[in-house]
Amino acid sequence: MSWSSTKRQIFIVDDDESIGRALSLLLGTYGFKVKTFLNAEQFLKWVPKKARGCLLLDYHLPGWNGQETQRRLRASGSKLPIVMITADKDESLKAEILKAGAVGFLQKPFNDKDLVAALSRAFESQ
Amino acid sequence: MGIMKGNDKMKPTKKMTSPQEKRIPHKSKIPSASPRPSKTSRAQHHQNASNQKQERLLGLVLNLNKSRKHLGEKIRRQTDELHLKDGLLRRGADLLQQSDEQIRLLTQAIESAADGVFIINVQKSNFPIIYSNPAFRTMTGYTKQAVMGLSYFTLYGTDPDLRLITEIKQTIRQKGYFTEELPNFKQNGTRYWCQLRLTPVRDASGTVAHYTGIQTDVTFMRQQDLEIHEQRDELLHVTRVGKLAEFVSSLAHEISQPLTAILSYTQAAQRVLADREPQIREILQYISNDDVRAIEVIRRLRSLLKKSVPEIKPLDLNTLIQDTLALVATDAMIRNVRLNSELSPGLPPINGDRIQLQQVLLNLISNSFDAMENSPTDRLLSIRTTRKDNTAFIVTITDTGCGIPATNLPKLFTHFFTSKADGLGMGLSISRSIVEAHGGRLTGENNPERGATFIFTLPMKRKGPQ
Repeated sequence: MSWSSTKRQIFIVDDDESIGRALSLLLGTYGFKVKTFLNAEQFLKWVPKKARGCLLLDYHLPGWNGQETQRRLRASGSKLPIVMITADKDESLKAEILKAGAVGFLQKPFNDKDLVAALSRAFESQ
Repeated sequence: MGIMKGNDKMKPTKKMTSPQEKRIPHKSKIPSASPRPSKTSRAQHHQNASNQKQERLLGLVLNLNKSRKHLGEKIRRQTDELHLKDGLLRRGADLLQQSDEQIRLLTQAIESAADGVFIINVQKSNFPIIYSNPAFRTMTGYTKQAVMGLSYFTLYGTDPDLRLITEIKQTIRQKGYFTEELPNFKQNGTRYWCQLRLTPVRDASGTVAHYTGIQTDVTFMRQQDLEIHEQRDELLHVTRVGKLAEFVSSLAHEISQPLTAILSYTQAAQRVLADREPQIREILQYISNDDVRAIEVIRRLRSLLKKSVPEIKPLDLNTLIQDTLALVATDAMIRNVRLNSELSPGLPPINGDRIQLQQVLLNLISNSFDAMENSPTDRLLSIRTTRKDNTAFIVTITDTGCGIPATNLPKLFTHFFTSKADGLGMGLSISRSIVEAHGGRLTGENNPERGATFIFTLPMKRKGPQ
């Protein structure tokens, strides 16, 4: 499987600036194009309905959490695939998130290979 | 009674003669020394004599009447006095009867009182008990015979509170009242708490020769008070622990964020370097490994604080123990503890929650490490797995530490009981709950020589459908 997904767009929503930056650097080495947001409101306000790419969404966010953001994004008509990331090991939450249409659920800290595999699946699902 | 009334007038009739009157004729028969008178003078003389006789008789009658009147009055007075005395006697008898009834009632009241009542003779140096009611005897466990003459201070046990006894004796010397809630001891040595009131008994002259004691058994109330107090403390502790858990949970989240970022940074750096700078890539790998280790610690801490639904799955007990020992290996090295495992090979899987059972193992191991902290040499922790009649597994964790003080043994698994200055007192109680939830038992005991051993059992996975 090739990880080089040149120009594929990734949107990262995480309130931790450092995580956003680190993931940008990491995914950059895999050829992804990354745009980061510090909260869900900022992202939802910005994201065009027909935006393409993949959303890497932190579950614990100030204001709307990952689940609420997922619901609002779908309500807006966006089909942007979502990979949820969280520090919690919560199987029931995972099941809930995946049932609501997310294509991946990663527990922090995640291996770069697992991350890229989840994103690739997300792109394939489009 | 035929008593003559004072106003009755006696008439001088022949029929009513008195011994005096009867003597009168005799006197008249006394021969006269005078010459024999003439017929007229004899008649005159006769008349005079008769008159004199009559006068004398009248005088006698009057005297008699006076005497009778006096006697009648005397009799009447004495009768009145008798009436009065009779009345007094009757009243006295009534009072005596009432008094007897009162004494009987008072005795009955004291004998049937729910409070222990006793009387002590304070004129004797040993303050003997000279009376006790049944409630007192029930309270103290002494028989009527045994308590009679018993020194009151025997109730204060074999190792009495001398300050208290001095205080009571001083109060008695000063003829004062004493009230206090204090511990006493039954004949069999059992301690009970009583609310004691000691009151001086003064006689008519004000002398205090006795003291009355009334004591109420307040052991139950006191126990309830203590329980309420303990519950309040426990509640405060729970609140504190709850707040601490909240704090630790949020702290763990805050720490896991930069650790995640560090991992991504190092992985990015490794990728940027690609095949270059192998030494730097190796260093980055070490950073990455330790970062993952730190994240694992945080995750474990969070799972300890989080109430999660247990995931019961088939588990290999020996693997679980080996994994746990690997986790504590660094800590053991720092603490200079040797780890020894004797794991029975080929054990069938058990049904359990991996995280929860690992928590039990970690907790028991951590306790053993703490117990060996002051052991000068030979710090050894041994874990052994064995089978029990093909029905259960036995995990034995033995250390060479300071052991468990005998007084702590009964409270070992109680919530919030801890012998550690910085402990929460949750570890063993949670561990027991986890083991029991898995159908097993967790016990702890001291080793014959040194240290302690904790043993927990887990039932073997049943064959067939679960």
